[in-house]
Amino acid sequence: MTDPSGKQEALEKFATFINPQRVRVMKAAGLDIIESRRSGPWVWDEDGTKYLDCFTSAGSFNVGRRNPRIVAAAHAAVDSLDNGNFLLCSRPKAELAERLAELTPGALSCTMFGTGGGEAIDFAIKLARGATGRPRIISTVNGYHGHTGFALSAGGRASFRDPFEPLMAEFAQVPFGDLQAVEEALDERTAAVLLEPIQGEGGIVCSPPGYLAGVRAACDRAGALLILDEIQTGLGRTGAWWACEHDGVTPDVMTTAKSLGGSLVPISATVFTEELREFLIPSPFIHLSTFGGSDLACAVALEVLAVIEDTGLVEHAAAMGELLFAGLGSIAAAHPDVITEVRGRGLMAGIQYAEDSLGPRMSYHLARQGVLAIYSGNQPAVMRLMPTLIIEQPEIEFLLGAMERAITDLKSGGGPEESAPSRPRRRPARATAG
Amino acid sequence: MADWDELSEALGDYTLTCNGNERLRKMQRDWSRNLHFVCSDNELTFSMDVDRGEILSTPSGHVGVPDIVVTTHSEIFCDMFWGDLNPVQKYLRGEITVQGSQEDVMRLDAISAVIWPDV
Repeated sequence: MTDPSGKQEALEKFATFINPQRVRVMKAAGLDIIESRRSGPWVWDEDGTKYLDCFTSAGSFNVGRRNPRIVAAAHAAVDSLDNGNFLLCSRPKAELAERLAELTPGALSCTMFGTGGGEAIDFAIKLARGATGRPRIISTVNGYHGHTGFALSAGGRASFRDPFEPLMAEFAQVPFGDLQAVEEALDERTAAVLLEPIQGEGGIVCSPPGYLAGVRAACDRAGALLILDEIQTGLGRTGAWWACEHDGVTPDVMTTAKSLGGSLVPISATVFTEELREFLIPSPFIHLSTFGGSDLACAVALEVLAVIEDTGLVEHAAAMGELLFAGLGSIAAAHPDVITEVRGRGLMAGIQYAEDSLGPRMSYHLARQGVLAIYSGNQPAVMRLMPTLIIEQPEIEFLLGAMERAITDLKSGGGPEESAPSRPRRRPARATAG
Repeated sequence: MADWDELSEALGDYTLTCNGNERLRKMQRDWSRNLHFVCSDNELTFSMDVDRGEILSTPSGHVGVPDIVVTTHSEIFCDMFWGDLNPVQKYLRGEITVQGSQEDVMRLDAISAVIWPDV
């Protein structure tokens, strides 16, 4: 086989030095893409195929891929900064923390930086336990908060947790959206309730009306904190700066990450109230991160926030989301045997398929139509569509057209080409007649 | 259409291949599942009891409560258990359906990949 782009060589190296099964699974699903050029809402495979990126690393590219303003800010930062000494006070850290205090709701005003979402959740839980003196953390079934120690303990997917038991003690999960279950679980030992306003990995499950407000009130009654994980839902994704703003609810602690790095740098932030910051006053070095909130990353993140604000990206996401949901609704109505529900908010859409295998199969067929979309980790029957927020009407129309064609291909019985073993068949010849 | 004798022969070979593969046994030591299989063309059914990666039995009929239910044509089952086809390709073509967790679906494919890396 010719390999003019060298893509196969890259896949073979990945298989050899990282994990062959990941390559096999992605190849079978038509997603054996080696990202090459990336620009705005698009990404190109090394073989030249162009895709509309509707996965965006689970919502990490809100401002688009290699947004020119972000790239310029990164270049400028590299010209004058480096990561910085993590123990020293830092101008970029201070300025980014100030902007986050301005942009987050209510009394959220203080920040601890990290490198990724899991680290942000880990600190949020440490802060909750430290500040309240209580051990118990309540999270939700099918919730997702990352793969690090505390975050994994709070995760709602047993298959991620089970091989590593025993994890942290005093974690409990309740069904998402069930206010009574939260109220019953809360007790005098509960430090915090940890939630995503919209479950992402769990299959784009929106919190029912009144749920977040009810949880907020229940936490207040129990003296527990409310931690909202806005890592996928924040920074304009749902048509508001933060998804909790749709419900008028302010948490005690909020986490953000992914798109904060503008598709270029790793950074996360845990934002909390001044009241909770009191716990850190006598112990200002109790939680440290060498690369968390590096000067380079903070400089980039400041520009990300500026781009979102200057370009009206939050309002744009809401408008494009309306187009997307209208189109997806029509497609669902035409194909009830394939799509049973479309849900979400802004540009965070979940397509509920009729059965589990349709998630992977539609990923394959959409890839063939030039759309990169991947089903939810915790709910394979749900496809997440989380395009960049800079997406415009023509790209929404492209996505909807691709979805129609992919369903047609699915119904026609298409799928991956079948490969024959490179060796003789093992099945005895006498048994091959059908 | 394959009959039970053919399926049984294929299952016997699959069991020997899996249980005789030390790498697979070590890799699968955390995996205990009860699998049910349904032949969509002739309504034959059978089960597979896997305990910590070891296939203990593959009886005819459905035994116990399943963790995973796999449905396809009897010929596809035979070819799959003999290692003559890539099951994930059949799955993505909608020719094999699996009721169960996504982790278990991936686990089944990983088993095939380990014992038949050339498929």
